[in-house]
Amino acid sequence: MASANSAEAPASRPSGPQYLPSSVQGAVKILVTGPFGVGKTTLVGSLSEITPLRTEETMTAASSGVDDLTGRGDKTTTTVALDFGRITLNSRLALYLFGTPGQQRFWPLWDDLSRGALGAIAMVDLRRPDESFDVLGRLEEQRIPFAVAVNTFPDTPSYPEEELRSALDVLPEVPILYCDARDRRQSYDLLIDFVDHLHRSSLLELQP
Amino acid sequence: MNGPVRPYVITGGRSRPTRTDLAIESLVSALPGPLGLPEPPALPEHVLLNREHRRILGLCHSLLSVAEVAAHLGLPLGVVKVLVGDLWDLGAVQVLPPVPQAERLPTTLLEEVLVGLRQLR
Repeated sequence: MASANSAEAPASRPSGPQYLPSSVQGAVKILVTGPFGVGKTTLVGSLSEITPLRTEETMTAASSGVDDLTGRGDKTTTTVALDFGRITLNSRLALYLFGTPGQQRFWPLWDDLSRGALGAIAMVDLRRPDESFDVLGRLEEQRIPFAVAVNTFPDTPSYPEEELRSALDVLPEVPILYCDARDRRQSYDLLIDFVDHLHRSSLLELQP
Repeated sequence: MNGPVRPYVITGGRSRPTRTDLAIESLVSALPGPLGLPEPPALPEHVLLNREHRRILGLCHSLLSVAEVAAHLGLPLGVVKVLVGDLWDLGAVQVLPPVPQAERLPTTLLEEVLVGLRQLR
């Protein structure tokens, strides 16, 4: 995982299952989303205690509407690859991190993937921020708590936060965080800052 | 059943799990029993344990998520949900549902996640 180009390289073939301790009582999940090549798999790999795994979901959708040029109402099937990792938080609880494609054509999967998620980390590559607009809009529509995570590639331009916030059109309550997804420590700090934000927001909601 | 088989063949043409509450982060483990399998009379008529059911039981002698089962067996997530749902209905596996379902307040849960992450950092 040395170069930005490896960001979406296939996760390694599983070497063999690494089981959770039998004391674990359940799992939570956080989605890591963003456009192709933004570094989702790299971030998941930096955080995961297991070699990131890849699984596939088949998405069947009636090809109605704009995509249906045939008029036959055929169904289309698309395969979506999800790379994911795991962190055993304590003897009772595990956290899964699911790299989730952000492009609009994968949205039929989102309801299922996002159900029960603590939140989502929306990765942005500032060299091509426009590719993240779709996914940011989707997260707002679905009311999934999220943070923007700028993946700091070596040639990532820097902008004042207000300029960035305005360019990405995200609300003031959405944190904008920075991280080199190849770096384990920075990736952990990003995840901790995000969960800390979720925690503080939940405390605010409890107040009358 | 050797070699690639189209997913709907593996699931007997079903594309939805019998239990709708199976999530990709639900945790699965085979329950002890004769070979980890239920006695034949427990099988509903429409469900026969196929090779993939047996592979799941073989893999899940300890806890793994539905997503991990799918990745290790090279099967689509939707297929694994159906098959794990079958095994759950049959009492051959235990399934631990995702955590944030009412049993813990989100604030308490988020605090637990935060403490865990800070210790691992």
